[in-house]
Amino acid sequence: MEELKVKHLLGIKELSKEEIQLIFRTASHFKEILNRPIKKVPSLRDVTIANVFFENSTRTKLSFELAEKRLSADVVNFSSSGSSVKKGETLLDTINNILAMKVDMLVIRHASPGAPHFLAKHVDANIINAGDGTHEHPTQALLDTFSINEKFGKVQGKKVAIIGDILHSRVALSNIHALQKLGAQVMVCGPITLLPRHIQKLDVKVELDVRKALEWCDIANVLRIQLERQQIKYFPSLREYSLYFGINKKLLDGLNKEITIMHPGPINRGIEISSDVADSEHSIILDQVENGVAIRMAILYLLAAKRPDYQPELT
Amino acid sequence: MNITFRSAIVLDPRSKHHNKQVDISIKNGHIYQIGKINKPVGKEINANGMFVSLGWFDMSCLFGDPGYEYKEDRTSGCQTAASGGFTGVALLPNTNPVIENKNDIAYLKALNKSHVTSIYPLAAVTKHALGEDLTEMIDLHHAGAIAFTDGVNPVWNSDILLKTLLYLQKFDGLLINRPEDKMLTQFATMNEGVQSTLSGMKGMPNISEEIMIARDLRILEYTGGKIHFSNISTAEAVKLIKKAKQEGLKVTCDVAAHQLTLEEGLIDDFDTNLKVNPPLRTRKDINALIKGLEDDTIDAIVSAHRPQDEESKKAEFDQAEFGQTGLQTVLPILIQLSNKLSLEKMIEKLTISPCKILGLEVPEIKKGAQANLTVFDPKAKWVLDEYTNHSKSVNSWYFGKELTGRVVATVNGENTYILS
Repeated sequence: MEELKVKHLLGIKELSKEEIQLIFRTASHFKEILNRPIKKVPSLRDVTIANVFFENSTRTKLSFELAEKRLSADVVNFSSSGSSVKKGETLLDTINNILAMKVDMLVIRHASPGAPHFLAKHVDANIINAGDGTHEHPTQALLDTFSINEKFGKVQGKKVAIIGDILHSRVALSNIHALQKLGAQVMVCGPITLLPRHIQKLDVKVELDVRKALEWCDIANVLRIQLERQQIKYFPSLREYSLYFGINKKLLDGLNKEITIMHPGPINRGIEISSDVADSEHSIILDQVENGVAIRMAILYLLAAKRPDYQPELT
Repeated sequence: MNITFRSAIVLDPRSKHHNKQVDISIKNGHIYQIGKINKPVGKEINANGMFVSLGWFDMSCLFGDPGYEYKEDRTSGCQTAASGGFTGVALLPNTNPVIENKNDIAYLKALNKSHVTSIYPLAAVTKHALGEDLTEMIDLHHAGAIAFTDGVNPVWNSDILLKTLLYLQKFDGLLINRPEDKMLTQFATMNEGVQSTLSGMKGMPNISEEIMIARDLRILEYTGGKIHFSNISTAEAVKLIKKAKQEGLKVTCDVAAHQLTLEEGLIDDFDTNLKVNPPLRTRKDINALIKGLEDDTIDAIVSAHRPQDEESKKAEFDQAEFGQTGLQTVLPILIQLSNKLSLEKMIEKLTISPCKILGLEVPEIKKGAQANLTVFDPKAKWVLDEYTNHSKSVNSWYFGKELTGRVVATVNGENTYILS
């Protein structure tokens, strides 16, 4: 069987185009299963997965948990807000305690960029990055590009504008990597204080005017304004943000074309995106959520296959 | 200990034996004979193919004594320094408590007679090195503080900086400042550049260093006195200091050895040993720093030895502490650079230059002088590992790697380190 070269899913940066395509093919298969009357397959029987979340999450955690359960894995959850250091236990100690209970795979969300990479150096379990601070969120980028591929039949050649807080977004960086590997063109747009100063060196276009960004793109991926991840003031107010960077129907109606709207959620309705846009026929926001489960099943399945003594069946 | 080195090449432009292969014998802590020696004294060491220079001096070194002895105490620190070739180290005051009264100075100097490496204490400019209230600098000077600095903390308050530069003029004292605008580096963990963008981390922009240098120079122009910038890291910093020197300001600066070889891109896999402050910069900055050494804009090379215990480094990158050990890797780094800079120039920046900046007597390589020497083999290959490491800490990117260039002996008066 075809397999991934990587043992962990730390970021999109570490994946090749071929590996992303393998994940897509596997996800398509699982998506078909998810639409059957009986959605559960025995592929990961006897595999124990811990979802370890050091940051709040609702949908990513739910999506992972559903993916794991559909694959018949045993699932345990660990949540702790804030860094483990504050609790007096190091991250590595926390993880080693969990792994000592014979856990095979680890889905981790953590506020520190590189936390999954750090763990990958020190533990044996397969690690899946479910978001590491402002670094990467690989499963989100995979489900985003999978959704584009599903809608357009390809990603190659598409123009994607990522709009919003790029500086604090792990979704943006993972999407840039995934889109570029699959041959799409990428633009970022937002208040200049929320754009990393050196982002152009990653070969992406930079636009400060949201209307121009929309005119350029085929797909607009609108990001959540991450107020909780901003330790310092970057813009004056949400009001001004929504007036000058928010996506609303009037703005879209002014374009002489239709564009597809994406959002990784959760949505701040009325701030970065208006309700009539989020709920419009051009929005594929809920398709993204549906595809999230299939993508995560594919990742878990393909990484389980990398375990030395385990050959999961694709049923 | 009496000792005779056979056939070493002298590397000291002030010595009449400069660039000559000689035998040197040391008896009772002094250079006894130099030249062709027929009757050696003490232990004989074949130093063929090796260099002998003045003992090295490190202007920017930090142990953890008192307060963080588990990272590095006086003894382990001095042993590490000796094995790295240093006969003298100026210690930053960032211990717990901070070095800020005469008892602290006495504590640091207490073991000097028994160690190869002598400790030269730097005292804090402000109480607890917080940048607010001045320490008793005249008293500290008389107690033996060789210069004043808040160490890893910049003197951020312009008024404090101004007053310090004035106050120190009473005894021609030196202020050493680490130029960093902390408001611009808040929450930052590495250089602001392509790598910080790829790693999703907040970066320290080059200007955070440069605007502080510009500010300090302007204040220096106003007050008179002298200032030394420690651990500079950017191309523009070199330019600013070069211009100030041309204008006649009394300014000097140093660079950390690792800053000359390691680039920001190495942080790609989140190795916390590379989390240092100032951060690893770009190739452009490195080239400017090397050029700054070449044209003497940069006066000294330092180890920037910042030991950290395992728990401080075995962590998420943003949670880990800054710093890496450096005393034992200065020579291998210089050897690595020897195709770009002459060894003579680099050794000068480890010997004569720091002594001059700090107003210390420069030792000499001549018959009868007190022995203050470093003997090193530029070709020897070795690995910095648990057997060769003398520090209590192992937080070095070079740990586990094969290095070229090794210190064979360090002699400071009666005390001698010899590689076993």
